[in-house]
Amino acid sequence: MASPFPRAERWRNRLLILLALVVFFLALGLPFAMAVLWSLVDPSHPWAYPNVLPPVLSFRRWVEIWTTSGLQQALVNSYMVATTVAVSAILLALPTAYAFGRLEFRGKAVAQMLTLLPLAMPLFVLAMFYVAVLSRLGIYSRFLGIAIGHTFYFLPYAIRLLTVSFSGVRQDLIDAARDLGASRLTVFRHAYLPVLKPGLLAALIIVFILSIEEFAISYLVGAPDFTTVPTILFSYLGYNFIRPSAAAVSLILVVPNVLLMLIAERLLKSTGASAGSGKG
Amino acid sequence: MNARRTLTPYLLLIPGLAPILVLMTLVIGMALTRSVTWTDVSGNVSLSLEAWRTILGQDQFWRAFFYSARIGTLGALISVVLAYPVALWLRRPFPGSGLVSSLIKAPILVHGLVAAFLYVNFVSFQGFLNVALVGLGFAARPIRMQNDPYAIGVVILQVWKNMPLAYLILSGSVSAVSDDLLNAARDLGVGTLGRLRRVVLPLTLRSLQAALILIFIGAAGDYTFQAVAGPTNINSMAQFMVRMEVDNGLQGWSLSAVVAVMLMGLSLFGAIALAGLVQVLVKRVGR
Amino acid sequence: MATEAPALTVAEASLRYDRFQALNAVSFSARRGELVTLLGPSGCGKTTLLRAIAGFIPLDSGRIEIDGRDMAGLSPERRDTAMCFQSYALFPHLTVADNIGFGLRQKRLSSAEIADRVSAVAAQVRLSAQLERLPAQLSGGQQQRVALARAMAVRPGVMLFDEPLSNLDAKLRDQVRAEIRALQRAQGFTAVYVTHDQAEALAMSDLVVVMRAGVVEQMGTPEDIYRRPANRFVADFIGTANILAGRVMDTDKANGLYRVETPMGMATVRAEAPPVASHVYLCWRPEDARILSSTEGEVAAENVYRLQVRSRTYLGNLVDLEVGRIDGEGETWRIQTHGTSAVMQGETVAIEIAPERFRFLSEAVT
Repeated sequence: MASPFPRAERWRNRLLILLALVVFFLALGLPFAMAVLWSLVDPSHPWAYPNVLPPVLSFRRWVEIWTTSGLQQALVNSYMVATTVAVSAILLALPTAYAFGRLEFRGKAVAQMLTLLPLAMPLFVLAMFYVAVLSRLGIYSRFLGIAIGHTFYFLPYAIRLLTVSFSGVRQDLIDAARDLGASRLTVFRHAYLPVLKPGLLAALIIVFILSIEEFAISYLVGAPDFTTVPTILFSYLGYNFIRPSAAAVSLILVVPNVLLMLIAERLLKSTGASAGSGKG
Repeated sequence: MNARRTLTPYLLLIPGLAPILVLMTLVIGMALTRSVTWTDVSGNVSLSLEAWRTILGQDQFWRAFFYSARIGTLGALISVVLAYPVALWLRRPFPGSGLVSSLIKAPILVHGLVAAFLYVNFVSFQGFLNVALVGLGFAARPIRMQNDPYAIGVVILQVWKNMPLAYLILSGSVSAVSDDLLNAARDLGVGTLGRLRRVVLPLTLRSLQAALILIFIGAAGDYTFQAVAGPTNINSMAQFMVRMEVDNGLQGWSLSAVVAVMLMGLSLFGAIALAGLVQVLVKRVGR
Repeated sequence: MATEAPALTVAEASLRYDRFQALNAVSFSARRGELVTLLGPSGCGKTTLLRAIAGFIPLDSGRIEIDGRDMAGLSPERRDTAMCFQSYALFPHLTVADNIGFGLRQKRLSSAEIADRVSAVAAQVRLSAQLERLPAQLSGGQQQRVALARAMAVRPGVMLFDEPLSNLDAKLRDQVRAEIRALQRAQGFTAVYVTHDQAEALAMSDLVVVMRAGVVEQMGTPEDIYRRPANRFVADFIGTANILAGRVMDTDKANGLYRVETPMGMATVRAEAPPVASHVYLCWRPEDARILSSTEGEVAAENVYRLQVRSRTYLGNLVDLEVGRIDGEGETWRIQTHGTSAVMQGETVAIEIAPERFRFLSEAVT
């Protein structure tokens, strides 16, 4: 739709884009640059007022964090938990997502609302009394406690993502395959799998990231002896603020997850594209 | 055969839905029962409203309650107020709009704790802001902005983290308003503001409410931003809840449970109140 | 009153998008109470022109006047037009009554006045019983009438219709078409109506403007356009036409008779105006041909052609014949005759086309 004043509008848009870039730079670019800078401050040459830039830059802080802090263990813990959670959440979500995506039944809308229930609950309340439930049930393994908590808490996301994938499977393809006498396996391979695969991968990645980033359950169930990356970061923040360490852990927490998320987004876009081709 | 067919969907629901419902029931049930039981010094557990009496009688609790209500409301309203015009602006693609849209969504990918760190790092004594202020001559020496007593830092963090979420929720419904509909309103003599009031706002009411509710629940239940960047002389509800359990030995769980139930109540009624408020407002301006 | 300004004047309207000339010096005008159709294939610029009249699209050059007032620089909300959109564009959150009253409310009328006007208009479009429903609860035809009522309610200087019937099924389309025309006559509103359906244009219009690629190809009453098409495009676009490339051999100006050599054979053509060139296109319509009985065929000489039936399609009320030269060479032509005709495929028929049925197109063969 052309506007009555396309030229004025174009200039307005350019100006606003510039403004957005400035805001983005101030709100995200600059703080991140500062974080990188801080993680590179040499421990023996502290960066203090009134120095505008750190006097000496080195990777010594990174080496130190890597070798002396509990970061390695925390990374192992986080990635172990996240892998377990991603796989089990997807497995549990698959049948339900199939029902939501491909079947019609009474009470479907209500059931879909119910799956979203955890999102309407303050997360710290949930985590806090989840701890109480665990001790009542006699589950003392921190790993198990966090893994079960994450799996249940992130099920809504897995169900939602997979429901979209399942509803993108085209009924006419299934019908055509069956009409041509294909076995159940063949139908699955040719009608379901191509559409489901990107969605499945995306759901795996997203639940994986969510689990790595989750703080409340990990912190309340795991503290103090079972650490994950976010709980380590939390210990560097607050009153005993160890800035260079916090900077390094922040980068470790953000960078891989952003990369994974970009992959997941690409996968989700490709599902949308394949589901959108032709009439559903 | 027929019975099997009608049962199948419900059986399929079990693996996904049952864990969620079991978790929620156990957790909420645990909080409720703990809040009405009391453990005395010799370890005997009895049904009692003692915990409620103790908590509701505490000045500190009410300060935490209203503080969290305020953070939730401010966080939700400011995020939505900032996100709505942006969603309107990016309603139809134009050169550069995709870039802006992904920049706005970027904070979603940044962990809350990292955001808190970035903020603290930015405003602390040796942070960029102080260096800039002093360097440019606006201040004689660094100003203390960390853990500011008005919780400006917490609100900034809430908005920083939730504005993209609000944008995500709103942009879908704003761009779903068809050009034909807006053209029809124009053609019938309705100006820019009128179209916003009488067409766009009513049609996007549902997602406005959804954004407000989600952000309010998150911000009112916040622990991390408050712990890292919040004022030190006050607790948020979540913080207060955790503290009650840690500080009070045998009675800790009961006291904590009361705070938890109150926080759930705050989330529920705060969300309903905000949603209702927006509904009334939109109906009124749409007249 | 003889020189009353037209309700709508479009003069030399031009608009260019990057490399694409959407409108090229389009001009027409509509008198008060007239219904003008903009007719043409998709991409011809008809919808662009309609939107330019409404003010949604600015012109590069040219003038649009409503009731003698220049519309240049006026935004759509300040123009005295009301459009019926192809998608209806009903406000889904408002009842039928609120939809119809939408424009009235903007005019700051009292609520009693609005209610009166709404119920009056609703009665005209037979929606009085549906006033409290939401658009989603209505059938397609009813939604169409709400869109019409909403536009009528503001009593605009010009009503604009953007292919309003294209979302209705065939039977309903004819009915609504008649209703719109009847309402337009009864209320006397001026209307511009965009369509790509030539039958719709012929049935509804006082004036038809045929457009192609941003240019007006021909303008006239429905009968003009059908009986006297200006060129091959119009002849072919409106109804079905058999177009022949002819060479004028002999001229009898006094009687307006011309002898023309055509691929069918020699034709005698009666025309009011002489052809534009000696090599000129002429056309005739499928219903212009009269099939002669076997005995007649032997007798008549002038404008009688013996042709072979290549195919025959039964259409119920009519039979459609595709005919060509007996030697099987060259192009084919179409004839429509009454359903009772017993002519079969492969047979040879003799047809007669009266001289006044041939029509010179104002387009030379190049």
